Amino acid sequence: MNQSFLEALQNIFPADRLLTRDVELLPYESDALTAFQTKPAAAVLPENDEEIIETVRLCHQHAVPFVARGSGTSLSGGSLPIADGLIIGLNRLNRIKKLDPQQRIAVVEPGVINLSISEAAQPYGLYYAPDPSSQSICTIGGNIAFNSGGAHCLKYGMTSNHVLGMKVVLADGTVTQFGGESIEGVGIGPDLVGLFVGSEGLFGIALEITLRLMPQPELYRTVLAAYDDLGRAGDAVSMVVASGLLPGAMEIMDRLAIKAAEASVNAGYPDAEALLIVELEGEALQVNAEFEQLHGIIEESGAFEIRVAESEAERARIWKGRKGAFSAVGRLSPDYIVQDGVVPRSRLGEALVEIGALKEKYALDVANVFHAGDGNLHPLILYDGREAGALEKAEALAGEILALCVNLGGSITGEHGIGMEKRDYMPAMFSEEELYIMQALRRAIDPKEIANRGKMFPGGEAPALKQHGMHPLEKAGVISRE
Amino acid sequence: MRGSAPGSIAEIQSLVLNSDRVHVVGLGSKTALHHQTDGAAIVDLAEMSGILEYQPSEYTVTVGAGSPVRDLAAALKQHGQYLPCDPLLPGAASIGGTVACNLAGPRRFRYGGVRDFILGAQLVDGMGRAFRVGGKVVKNAAGFDLSKFLVGSLGRYAIMTELTFKVFPDAPCFRSLRFSYARLEDALSAIYFINQSAYELDALDLIPAAGGWSLLARLAGFEETLPRRVERFAASMERETAPADIDKLPETDDLWDPLADLSGEVLVKVALAPKQIPAFDRMIHAARRRYGVGGNLAWLAADDVEALAAALRKCGLRGLCLRGAVDSPVIGAPADDALAQRVKQVLDPHHKFV
Repeated sequence: MNQSFLEALQNIFPADRLLTRDVELLPYESDALTAFQTKPAAAVLPENDEEIIETVRLCHQHAVPFVARGSGTSLSGGSLPIADGLIIGLNRLNRIKKLDPQQRIAVVEPGVINLSISEAAQPYGLYYAPDPSSQSICTIGGNIAFNSGGAHCLKYGMTSNHVLGMKVVLADGTVTQFGGESIEGVGIGPDLVGLFVGSEGLFGIALEITLRLMPQPELYRTVLAAYDDLGRAGDAVSMVVASGLLPGAMEIMDRLAIKAAEASVNAGYPDAEALLIVELEGEALQVNAEFEQLHGIIEESGAFEIRVAESEAERARIWKGRKGAFSAVGRLSPDYIVQDGVVPRSRLGEALVEIGALKEKYALDVANVFHAGDGNLHPLILYDGREAGALEKAEALAGEILALCVNLGGSITGEHGIGMEKRDYMPAMFSEEELYIMQALRRAIDPKEIANRGKMFPGGEAPALKQHGMHPLEKAGVISRE
Repeated sequence: MRGSAPGSIAEIQSLVLNSDRVHVVGLGSKTALHHQTDGAAIVDLAEMSGILEYQPSEYTVTVGAGSPVRDLAAALKQHGQYLPCDPLLPGAASIGGTVACNLAGPRRFRYGGVRDFILGAQLVDGMGRAFRVGGKVVKNAAGFDLSKFLVGSLGRYAIMTELTFKVFPDAPCFRSLRFSYARLEDALSAIYFINQSAYELDALDLIPAAGGWSLLARLAGFEETLPRRVERFAASMERETAPADIDKLPETDDLWDPLADLSGEVLVKVALAPKQIPAFDRMIHAARRRYGVGGNLAWLAADDVEALAAALRKCGLRGLCLRGAVDSPVIGAPADDALAQRVKQVLDPHHKFV
């Protein structure tokens, strides 16, 4: 980073918002993919659009790579810094600029925390639907970059499906606006919102985002079913789907994940090979009728124990173990890697058998927790980072799982994104020509390849491996890797 | 308009490579799109049709882009499923044309529009390259989401040959209600009430009527619960929004066809927000019109397209002409197309697609 660039930054930012000392930059060296770290040259903390735009233009002019960063909860290393690059920290742009319950929309800045939108909308009977498990800390800007999901994606989609309009600064400093307050989004002309969301920070920075809010369901009905066989839990999901019901969430945990959850949050789960959670939501009269049907299906599915949540407290108890499963696994093992590949729902059983075989082959433990409704796996590969070569072995196993997902007709990522972590697996999913076209598009928007350089596409310099262990926030149970 | 109807991706690639100008047509149901073709080679997608992959248990279906919407709807219906974005012109349009023009019907209100249900596509771009975008599973976050970009792209960036969608189980039964209001403001207030309530409507359209405005609402679900849900909804609407009348309507084909009563020189789709309706409606009240999807879309039939375009510009809105003799199908306020131009540069640098 040259002196003239730094001086230009000093003209935009006061000293307390331009960080260059090692000790100030330490918090930015890593994200939730804790195995890696890189030291950026500097970090700036803008407080308005103009400062972001000026910074991006400056980066473009000086060809300095930058990473826009919210809370740094990316599981794919999507917000890992670039060596000698700039971090643009967006947490101070955290205003909800407009909340219009009548039209069910909110206009927000990129640094707004996901959950705070639902909290602001709650008095009006509304909420913001995408619910990544880090929602109490992750920002909308990061959700947009990675098209974040959550447990409720099957019915209402991922982040992209909830963004109606945006104002963005492209990586070359061009400011552009698309979409608006209509639920149709862009409506006339190509869906630029859909293209920008999920671009992993490679196109530029979202400055202002118009979001769609949803009415809170009148009633949730939740059932927990225990099985003595993982395949049987998977079959139950197929039976639910075949019945024509459309649950808001369907989640499965295997024995190891159940054991971890029990040890950690003591949810009182049955001792089982697999647990299935199914939740229906909507208008009370309809949901109660659907629940009767669901209960019949679960009874026929061979579950040895069925628990129905009869109160909000019991519902919370069912979810407590599921939501705490990831941080709980951290108690069983000093380190773990989590993948989020997707397989067609009908091939879930096959995928689990294969993962079981890979587990044997690598002699590593794998806990399985997954969004069964949309085939989104979350295998947690347990290893001890203090053992030489253990991380490499765990990564090799993770790679085989990704290849398996592609071979079964799925995807290498359902909601975490490619980031730094999975970039070398892109060729497994896309042809050379498809990758070439995506890269050409990236260069058409960012000719100097400065925006989040080193992410999504194979190759590029590798960040340094960090010491082992969980992210401090993960240890505290604030975030989890799902 | 009939051009060559290639039956394979390779034929489409060679057509693109051997032509200076290319114009794509599906089943030709949106006639306004096909007036200014500048002597381009016409690529007719009628042969690129059929259901290619459909596993009801996956909630996904892959079809040839030239497939009639009605064929897809019929195949899904056999398994109790439907495409929740509810393609417009279900009797005449192709699925590719539905995506290219982004045309969703009234049931879009419940779960979302075309952009919310497209998962992936097979394309041939202006360089003659054939490639895939997106995926074939319901959840996928790998790579740039060019499949969503196709929605509304009007065939100007690439030719779609194959499309994959997410589909849902459909409801077995429906009930429709009409709430009548004297003033537009009252009808809009009723929409705002519904927006903040937990009633899950299948569709909600706002229609000018003799002596005021009608709000047409539909509930979907099980036969055994619908009557009670309808009573509960109607009672709450009566209490909170004071309609002049409430009528239960029979489920006829025309009731939910937003274009059924719209005739004029041009037929136009406009995307707008409910709160933009009062100002816009004052300017265009000579047009026959219907505001769909809870007031987020306008369907207009007008005789004076210039006056309509001027009104749209004044309100900062844009419209897509579906039928009528127009120079360009897109009218109204200019678009900020900085990002779209970058895509054009990559997919169709020689501006072959018109």
